[in-house]
Amino acid sequence: MHPTIISYSAISGTPINIEPDAVQGGNLKNALSILAGLSLCVASNSAIAADDQTAAAASTVTKVCQNCHGPNGDSTSATFPRLNGQQADYIAAQLKNFRDHSRSDAHAMAYMWGMASQLSDATIDGLAKYLSSQKPTLAQSGGELAAEGRSIYLNGVAANNVPACGACHGPKGEGNSVIPRLAGQHASYLKSQLEAFRSLSRANDVMHANTKDMTDSEIEAVSSYLAND
Amino acid sequence: MMFRAKTNDGAMLKFAAASAGLVLAILLPQQAKAVPSYARQTGLACEACHTVFPQLTPFGRVFKASGYTLSNTSKVQDVDSLKHYLMSLSDTPPVSVMAVASTSSMAKAADSQSSKTSTDFPQQFSVFYAGSISENVGAFAQVTYDDQSGTVGIDNTDIRFADVATLRGHTVIYGLSLNNNPTVQDLWNSTAAWGQPFLTSPVMAGPAASTRIEGAMAQQVAGLSGYAFLDQSIYAEAGVYRSALQGASVAQNGNLSNNVISGVAPYWRIAYEADWGQNSWELGASGLDAALQNPTTPALGAVNASLQAAPTDRFDDIGLDSQYQFITDDSQITVAGRAVREDQRLNASYPAGLAGRPSNFIDSENLVASYFWRRKIGASIGVFNVNGSSDAIYFGSQSGRPDSSWGNVEVDYLPWLNVKLGLQYTAYAKFNGATSNYNGAGRDASNNNLIFGYLWYAY
Repeated sequence: MHPTIISYSAISGTPINIEPDAVQGGNLKNALSILAGLSLCVASNSAIAADDQTAAAASTVTKVCQNCHGPNGDSTSATFPRLNGQQADYIAAQLKNFRDHSRSDAHAMAYMWGMASQLSDATIDGLAKYLSSQKPTLAQSGGELAAEGRSIYLNGVAANNVPACGACHGPKGEGNSVIPRLAGQHASYLKSQLEAFRSLSRANDVMHANTKDMTDSEIEAVSSYLAND
Repeated sequence: MMFRAKTNDGAMLKFAAASAGLVLAILLPQQAKAVPSYARQTGLACEACHTVFPQLTPFGRVFKASGYTLSNTSKVQDVDSLKHYLMSLSDTPPVSVMAVASTSSMAKAADSQSSKTSTDFPQQFSVFYAGSISENVGAFAQVTYDDQSGTVGIDNTDIRFADVATLRGHTVIYGLSLNNNPTVQDLWNSTAAWGQPFLTSPVMAGPAASTRIEGAMAQQVAGLSGYAFLDQSIYAEAGVYRSALQGASVAQNGNLSNNVISGVAPYWRIAYEADWGQNSWELGASGLDAALQNPTTPALGAVNASLQAAPTDRFDDIGLDSQYQFITDDSQITVAGRAVREDQRLNASYPAGLAGRPSNFIDSENLVASYFWRRKIGASIGVFNVNGSSDAIYFGSQSGRPDSSWGNVEVDYLPWLNVKLGLQYTAYAKFNGATSNYNGAGRDASNNNLIFGYLWYAY
């Protein structure tokens, strides 16, 4: 929703004056003013709803999510992925996968099946939007391992049927829609997920194919390249 | 140290045995807990809150600080016209049960009346209310049947109010804890109530002397404290304890009222935790300042005066503690240590002739470490030391000193995360002031060495 409308309705209260004779008398000007008023009313109600949704999501993140995923999704513990700046569609899809148990890697079962079990679609939508709007953590890579990882990420490893990760995840690892941001993630989290795809414990046909021949050292290298820690 | 008396040789022996039993009960580490009702309430597996029960992970600490209220179950709810919660009841009662069965064998029987072995089935059986009560209130409350005493009683209890606030980008979990054991409300496993070893033999010989903050007041007091946990890193808590027996008379409870807190005993706690990668490190300090009316002594002496004008012994405890954890799916490592100094001003015991000096002190230190592989197989080791000033009358030891040193090793196997099989060996280098003949009757510290096997489950 447009922020101007949010602030307008919130500050002014958007007084809408509906005159009875305007409807009854067919006065075009009045009718237009009613239409304008009604549309403003709908817009401001939606704006308030969006505002409420953001506030509710912020509250949920503060009170619940950040206990593991850190302030606004920037987790300090490598057990839990960073969610700040993650793609909204990806977050929403994963939360729904946790809720319906279609994602069943070990940590999904241990942590997220329970946490997502009572989430409504609206709450998931709000959380996804809120977390995706947070400033992402930047990748901080260096050294030989990261250089090797950069090559895998950008060019793939033809001999092992590993395509270039960046082709889907973006040249900077920023992700796109349901394809997740990888840049700035914890290295050990990236590693554990690649291993989970390779062992088929985390569902995703595309990633199963992409990782099936990846070696441990290639996983290590590409995780190191993308990571921040 | 006396163990279970099985004779009827007069009131004095009964009193001594009862006192020894009390000393044992209060000196042994409190029996530990693991509470599956929290898992049912949150939908989270044990590993979210525990490395291996009952040791907490960083998230387990936050769950506890947040008042045990995190819930992912459907609820029966009521709200007022402003949508404020009037009631929020989980559709699953937060009830758990726990049982321990064990067998113990001591190197040498405590006396001619005692057996050197003991098999306890159950050693203890507990029922918990452990879960949320409302949106901001939750509880850890335990009732335990104890095989050795044959009694059912209130065990560790911690009822909390907690909420979360954000201040200039910082998150503060704050709340109140109403509890019955100083440090039972603590978040780290480096303080007494939740320190390793988590389970010990019911016949284990406990040294006569210990500090008050390390379990001596467990279940004898009621305390209320307020706390704040900033950014899951800086923790501060302050509160007071009163004796649960305060005001009770001999006529009412049938017993003499000993170790009754005069007024209130202030308790404080500060800690700093840093989490990075798969590491967590904590450094903290805590203290308790208790003036006790009608105090008992390690030598089993007791001042028995009217509680309305009883003099007091004052125990001022200050402790430092630290804990490091490394937690991955494959390995769970915890190292924790604690040092406590207790200054004792014996304004009741000394004039009564129960102490040879007007003041004494006790130092207590321990260092423990555990390693688990995939939360399934683990081993732990601990070294413990108590020493203090020399006062044969007060400490009741042949050497005059309260010194004891001991260590233990334990191996564990968890076929499931809520079932633990443990085998523990405890060896004493020094006991109640001496290595050999510590009681003047030829008993050596090593005679108390103990092997202890147990089955511990919770559901």
